[in-house]
Amino acid sequence: MNPQLTGIEELTGTYPFDIRQSIKALRLNRFFWQMREHEARERWLNERSSAYDAAGLTGEERALVDNTDWLGLVRYGVSFFVLEKFARVVKISNLGMYASMRGETLEAFLRTRNVPGAA
Amino acid sequence: MARIIGGIGTSHVPTIGAAYDNEKQNDPAWAPLFKGYEPVAEWLAEKQPDVMVMFYNDHANSFFFDCYPTFALGVSPNHEFADEGAGKRPLPGIAGHPELAIHIGEQMISDEFDLTIFQERPLDHGCNSPLSLMLPHAGGWPLALVPMEVNVLQYPLPTANRCYRLGQSLRRAVESYPEDLKVVVVGTGGLSHQVHGERSGFNNTDWDTEFLDLIVRDPQRLAAMKHVDYVRLGGAENVETIMWLAMRGALAPNIRELHRNYYLATSTAMAVTLYEDEVPQ
Repeated sequence: MNPQLTGIEELTGTYPFDIRQSIKALRLNRFFWQMREHEARERWLNERSSAYDAAGLTGEERALVDNTDWLGLVRYGVSFFVLEKFARVVKISNLGMYASMRGETLEAFLRTRNVPGAA
Repeated sequence: MARIIGGIGTSHVPTIGAAYDNEKQNDPAWAPLFKGYEPVAEWLAEKQPDVMVMFYNDHANSFFFDCYPTFALGVSPNHEFADEGAGKRPLPGIAGHPELAIHIGEQMISDEFDLTIFQERPLDHGCNSPLSLMLPHAGGWPLALVPMEVNVLQYPLPTANRCYRLGQSLRRAVESYPEDLKVVVVGTGGLSHQVHGERSGFNNTDWDTEFLDLIVRDPQRLAAMKHVDYVRLGGAENVETIMWLAMRGALAPNIRELHRNYYLATSTAMAVTLYEDEVPQ
């Protein structure tokens, strides 16, 4: 256990991205990382199975992506910072992702914010 | 001799850059943020530093987890900005300062900070979000940038104390550079926010205020904290404020806070601060 993170499990709803997650989900993280590139975005939009095959994703991983299950993907071992690149492809804002992970609608989440107009 | 003339702490939220590009300076929801950068921009215009050393983190754009450096120093003559998937921001590239960067690398590695050296890796919003609010750039930037990347994405991260000492080592390196250069050091990130899990949207203004006080008068206390403390107090991604400690380490033990702005609109508490040594060099 990382001595800097002793007691982290008490903070529910928090999933530190560490080397264990990184090893487990390297292919999936790379798949999302590549969404920076136009060709990768087009391939997923137009030939989804072939994009998954090329990335070497498992059935479980494909289902998480198909369902845009943001919380499930984070729990599985995906770094938020590659996931947000995929969110742009499916036209979801970061605020929309936060709301989803909290189990709220975007509208309900924004009502809890100081300045919803900045969204 | 080169000298450090001041330090800046700033958030690097991508929405800052997007708001700038969408000209939201006078939008009531964004004006308090933009206004907060004006004193920093004025100070930079008045002091005219030659070089900005910026502690930033790459958000899995130019570095990926197949090889993710703990500390990495950018030594290129020119730095481009990254296309993070939504197209490049309309910003010119920025000059690097290879001679100073080489010197920093040689000195700091000799000082036992084993930096990775990188070239031609585009800089993402970790750098360009705050840059665009602090400096004029139509037709080119007024100073050179030496970027220092810090891993705050994939645990294990460098400790807060290691980042503080990294800044102290940077100061020794800068002060041993023979040419007269004015250097400003920037620490980026934070403040309170969490962008993953059910705890997304967590903020803690009380902690943010305490952090902004401690970074001035008791950085050792911040340096002694563990990552889990930052996560508990300020949300998971608040841990990136350890990069402010790197900036703080590059300043004198006693500093003056010239400016502070704090604005929490939706999900990330956005701060910008300006410091000078109490006894200028």
